[in-house]
Amino acid sequence: MKQHVYALVDCNNFFVSCERLFRPELNGQPVVVLSSNDGCAVSRSQEAKALGVPMGAPHWQWRDFFATHGVTAFSANFELYGDISQRITNLLASITPHIEVYSVDESFLDLTELPITDYTEWGKAVRADILKNIGIPVSIGIAPSKTLAKAANDRAKKLPELGGILDLTEQGVATDRYLAGLPIGDVWGVGRQLAPKLHAEGVHTALDLRQLYPPRAQQLMGIHGRQMVEELNGRGLLPFQQAHKPQQMIMRGRQFGQDTSEFYVIEAAVASLAARAAASLRHERHLARRASVILRTNRNKPGYQRLEASVRFYTPTANTGTITSQLVRMLAHDFNSHIKYHKADVLLHDFVPENSLQADLLGMVNLAENTRSQHTMRAIDAINRKYSKTTVTTAAEHLSQAWQPKKKLVSPRYTSAWSDLPEAHLIEYGYG
Amino acid sequence: MEPLENEELGTTVAIHAGFPNPAAERKGTPLSLDKLLVHHPSSTYFFRVRGHNWHRQGVFDGDIAIIDRAVTPSGSQLVVWWDEAGSFALSQLALADRQRVWGVVTSIIHPFSS
Repeated sequence: MKQHVYALVDCNNFFVSCERLFRPELNGQPVVVLSSNDGCAVSRSQEAKALGVPMGAPHWQWRDFFATHGVTAFSANFELYGDISQRITNLLASITPHIEVYSVDESFLDLTELPITDYTEWGKAVRADILKNIGIPVSIGIAPSKTLAKAANDRAKKLPELGGILDLTEQGVATDRYLAGLPIGDVWGVGRQLAPKLHAEGVHTALDLRQLYPPRAQQLMGIHGRQMVEELNGRGLLPFQQAHKPQQMIMRGRQFGQDTSEFYVIEAAVASLAARAAASLRHERHLARRASVILRTNRNKPGYQRLEASVRFYTPTANTGTITSQLVRMLAHDFNSHIKYHKADVLLHDFVPENSLQADLLGMVNLAENTRSQHTMRAIDAINRKYSKTTVTTAAEHLSQAWQPKKKLVSPRYTSAWSDLPEAHLIEYGYG
Repeated sequence: MEPLENEELGTTVAIHAGFPNPAAERKGTPLSLDKLLVHHPSSTYFFRVRGHNWHRQGVFDGDIAIIDRAVTPSGSQLVVWWDEAGSFALSQLALADRQRVWGVVTSIIHPFSS
């Protein structure tokens, strides 16, 4: 059988790179992007890392440091990152339809069938295309298994002399050398729990793991460990998940801008989260049998409390109004107005396909009602898609905006709002 | 006549009277401004034009410039480029700092009323 070849295309400090695209003067400067609610650093430029800003650095602790060291901080602008991510996926999909979008900033490509003679040259060309056409720097690792492609990508990113590309399709001394430089904790699939176990076994690098006797790996880590060893030896075992995997659970959650015990504020937040979760459910063409809402107090304060309310739908639904009103009703029942809540999550689970109701022969489902509801919701989705996500909303969503997260440092929606376009200043027109 | 199905809105409209539309059988694609103006969607960005000194060129403050980063700048093309302060400028390529060209202007849209 022909050896598989996979490429992992990974954007460097993706969120920071998106911000820099429209703020080019920040290239070479320390930049961080903060999580939702400006909590902590989730993306750091190379310069910020060099200054010692750790991943997850809490903003309130590091604010003064950022000011004195000239670190520019942004609130997360997920509309921008989503748009740029889609552009990169489209560009990659024009190279090959065999693409697995692994996350917002990483995609695997299956290159097995492509007539490529020099993978390094191919990688350089793709990297240059993405940098020029979209404006985002990427690293590319190429190898016969996904785990090895991940490892190659890590090296390509961290060793500047590689220029962002590393081809590990040949298994030899050179590959061993690169794997010897990769700490075991950074190997895909190892993680925080397995790393100490492996260190105790004398396995400190990716090369050590590659050379571990597979049955021993299985003793230590189960079948997953054996698979990792095989993968690091260039035998691709992990499946390539090209097709879109339907979700089994949809969760939408948010921290409140400030802790609150006002029911109407929480009701507004729950309504908005339920609307987003239900829209996502309809997009998947699913109906949910169960919905729940979870309210939590701040974990970092004494007396942590959690309130959960669930509803079961006799007729599965994707109707925003039904889901919202039932959740709010259940929540009102148990609500304690002496507790200040910090965060709300809305979950939808137990899905059935949208069209399965038509096949329900027991006659327990009110089909006419359900069809009408589906048409209404489809109309709302179409309008919201066409104009903006919040054109048609339920009234409860507007009870309060107090729950909206803080986003003080957010950049404009450069690519998704006509009012937020970047500006270009005309300079004197030259003749001749 | 067959009911017309609007899939997006999930509604069905039946038209029972009048002369049938002779073009109903022909499924042509309507003209698309996107297709006319945007050749590479992944590499196309929009900018707002600022400044009042290009009236003779027919370019006005508030116009929308379409930038295609996939186009390699050459000749007398208009480009968007950036200065040290991070401000974007729009000019002919000859007047731009070539090291700082951000993208090539392929069209400028000027609305006459809004």
